[in-house]
Amino acid sequence: MRGVHVGLAVLILAVISIAWFEPRPALEDFDPVRHAAFKDTWNKRVHLAYWEKWGSFEADACQKMVDSFNESQDEIFVHYLRTSQVDRKAMLAAIGRDPPDVVGLWSNNVVPFAEGGALMPLDGLMKQSGLTRDFYIENYLKLGEFEGKVWCLPTAVASLALYYNKEHFRAKAPQLRAAGLDPDRAPQTIEELDRYADVLNEFGPDGSPRVMGFLPTEPGWFNHIWGYHFGGKLIDPQTGKITTDEPANVRAYTWVKRYAETYGREKLLRFKSGFGTFDSPYNAFIEGKVSMEVQGVWFSMFIRRHRPQMEFGVEPFPCAEGVPGPRSEMEMDVMGIPRHCKHPKESWKFVCWVQKEGLGILSRLQGKNIALRNPPPWFHQGHPNLELAVFEKLALSPESYIFPNSLVGQEYRDEINRAFEHIWNWPVEQERKAELEGLSGAERKAKIDALCQEEVRRTLAEVRQETQRQLDAKIERRRLQKASAD
Amino acid sequence: MANLRGHVTGYAFILPWLVALALFIGYPFIAGFYFSFCDFPPLKSPAFIGLDNYAELAHDAKFHRSLGVTLVYAAVAIPLGVVLAITLAMFLNARIRGQSFYRVIFYIPHLVPTVVVAILWLWIFNPEFGLLNIVLAGLMNAADRWTHLFFGLGAETPGEAWLRPEALALLAAPMLAAVTIWPLVPAVLKRRPALKRFLAAVAVVALVLGAVALLNAALHGLMPVDIKTLHSPGWLADGNPLPSAIPFAPSWALWALIVMSMWGVGQMAVIYLAKLQDVPVELYEASDIDGANWLQKTWQITVPMISPVILFNVVMSIIGTFQVFAEPYIMTGGGPEDKTRFVAMFVYDQAFQYQRVGYASAVAWVLFLMIVALTILAFRISQKRVYYAGR
Repeated sequence: MRGVHVGLAVLILAVISIAWFEPRPALEDFDPVRHAAFKDTWNKRVHLAYWEKWGSFEADACQKMVDSFNESQDEIFVHYLRTSQVDRKAMLAAIGRDPPDVVGLWSNNVVPFAEGGALMPLDGLMKQSGLTRDFYIENYLKLGEFEGKVWCLPTAVASLALYYNKEHFRAKAPQLRAAGLDPDRAPQTIEELDRYADVLNEFGPDGSPRVMGFLPTEPGWFNHIWGYHFGGKLIDPQTGKITTDEPANVRAYTWVKRYAETYGREKLLRFKSGFGTFDSPYNAFIEGKVSMEVQGVWFSMFIRRHRPQMEFGVEPFPCAEGVPGPRSEMEMDVMGIPRHCKHPKESWKFVCWVQKEGLGILSRLQGKNIALRNPPPWFHQGHPNLELAVFEKLALSPESYIFPNSLVGQEYRDEINRAFEHIWNWPVEQERKAELEGLSGAERKAKIDALCQEEVRRTLAEVRQETQRQLDAKIERRRLQKASAD
Repeated sequence: MANLRGHVTGYAFILPWLVALALFIGYPFIAGFYFSFCDFPPLKSPAFIGLDNYAELAHDAKFHRSLGVTLVYAAVAIPLGVVLAITLAMFLNARIRGQSFYRVIFYIPHLVPTVVVAILWLWIFNPEFGLLNIVLAGLMNAADRWTHLFFGLGAETPGEAWLRPEALALLAAPMLAAVTIWPLVPAVLKRRPALKRFLAAVAVVALVLGAVALLNAALHGLMPVDIKTLHSPGWLADGNPLPSAIPFAPSWALWALIVMSMWGVGQMAVIYLAKLQDVPVELYEASDIDGANWLQKTWQITVPMISPVILFNVVMSIIGTFQVFAEPYIMTGGGPEDKTRFVAMFVYDQAFQYQRVGYASAVAWVLFLMIVALTILAFRISQKRVYYAGR
């Protein structure tokens, strides 16, 4: 029996020792061939864990940037760990007080991470290292800020534009001309976009779409942007109040709904289910199932990867008539230093190097524009993205916008997505059958439009009320937290 | 002294389990209760806020939606699962050749990991290329063509008369023939018993086909929109209810998850099967002597005898329903329109997406109390109906 006690005690000790005496990262544990150049300095260096997203060629670009840093000095070695759902994993790691040294996030993570105390503020470090505000394009820097402090700095940045299939435009040139449209350019207004789309559509004998000129649900990642292109906004910048159901937004989402009603909600749903994944030759735009699509700066690289010969053009996504442009949502991937990380000083050295040297390498290899006001002179020479100028113009446009950094930003996005799905799927003819009875032709169409507008207004008002309630509650909770801390 | 040593040794053996229980179940259980009264962003200390989280639950539309989805799912999936599992168990209990093979076949799906199942069903439910829609469209079109011989299908040809005149001729001709030859039938059947079986089979097929035509025509009249959609449903992407006339009916997306949940019914069936084999044969023999038919035997003997297992499975299913997470998380992400956002997903989102551990704990505790209440209710309802053979 004594043996049992000894055995159990040894087992417990073994578990504790393994957990306690964590070995240093040995060269053999990683990639000895790849890291052969670092053999001499391997044990002298501080090893940093950098959790970052990306896949395929974008991950290779990130690895190249990290390699450049590792080669540039002999004090620090950064391990780039490709991490899916990096935001959720980083948050869990932060909760467990064992975060990575540097973490790559999305700009919409900045507020929850900063507010939750998961990140270190960077203002002081930036000042020491000579990174000033005018180093960056203002809107991009703003995406990393919360309550007047910088919590994250840019990695890859993006703006959105309209991609259009020039082959489709050329094939339908006579019809486009007959409709009074120029086949050699992209639409300039939303109203024109609808007319182009109408000509470019192709249907099978049973009315099922074969090609759609434009689909607001494709790719389905930017359900929150439509209001801005009708002159709307999601938060009042003066009062901070939620403004989801302001008239311009109602107009925008009624426009979205019109596509579902005109071409058939169910037929479009079936059509869309036949699309392949984004990074594949079966992507709806690359395969030629959709002629025009709103997409980010990254898309050119994916198109050329899967269909190098495809003829496509890129122009700013149009605005409704009378709304000033060009405008685009500005998005950004960011990097930050988690609070309680093991090597904050060395982490900052890496982040600072990325800002001064690395951004150019990363953005160029990923085919994106750069967050810096003055990119390095070599940045544009031989840049692989031939459409870069459009995105740079959009990034500098005074009309471009960012999704507001709000305490309930994530909740707000989720609510908008839900509302968008509801508006798109709402079966007007079923729900409001009685009001449509006896109507036909233009009269019926007008009534459907009016009923849809009513539903859009109701849905957006619901989003406003719900999000405002959450925002008010969060502000109150923060006030109480601060009061109890004081 | 020896007694003490024995105790110590005994406790030493169960110590790892006790420690794990206290650390990983006991502590979170109690801590969660305390956190439910706190505002607790996970990286800060919890701040006591009294009943605020519970008060917020009463006004949170998103929580109400999630709870609604879960309850509707439970109301449909649990009874459906029980009926299907019992039916399957009764089939598997039949003394036929290859009995063990069938038992294994129906149990195998339960062994496939959840994530794999979810991805597999994602393809099955694909509206354009999915296996289900291809089969469904074929069946629906065949049924439509058949029904169209007798009835004008309202949804496709509005304004057409319900019963086509040709149908009268189609129906009248075989009936006339049957009536004409009827006097000859008994004599012929007496000479040829095999013909009797053949005619019985023909009658069954005719009845099934007739029922299909009648049912299809009735459904086209009663729920034209749903039947039209049923020819090629959008499944996971469609948030509209089915039947559309009933406001709290499950959405097409939720129906997809309900259908998918039947995938694992083999495991429940095996438990029923074990109990079925436990039913004393004498009871069936006695009922045979009394002249009971199959239905009477099933209702009066089989169901009461396996009722404790039915209760067990119902209780486990209730608990399981409130824990549904992986399938909707992988397949729909809670959409469309939150129509598949189960409460377990809601709890996860609140804690890890919105960093509201306190609120998530309050929801978890409300769920815990609901599970306890529903389980007690299941026991109460079943008190007079569950037969424990005198134990």
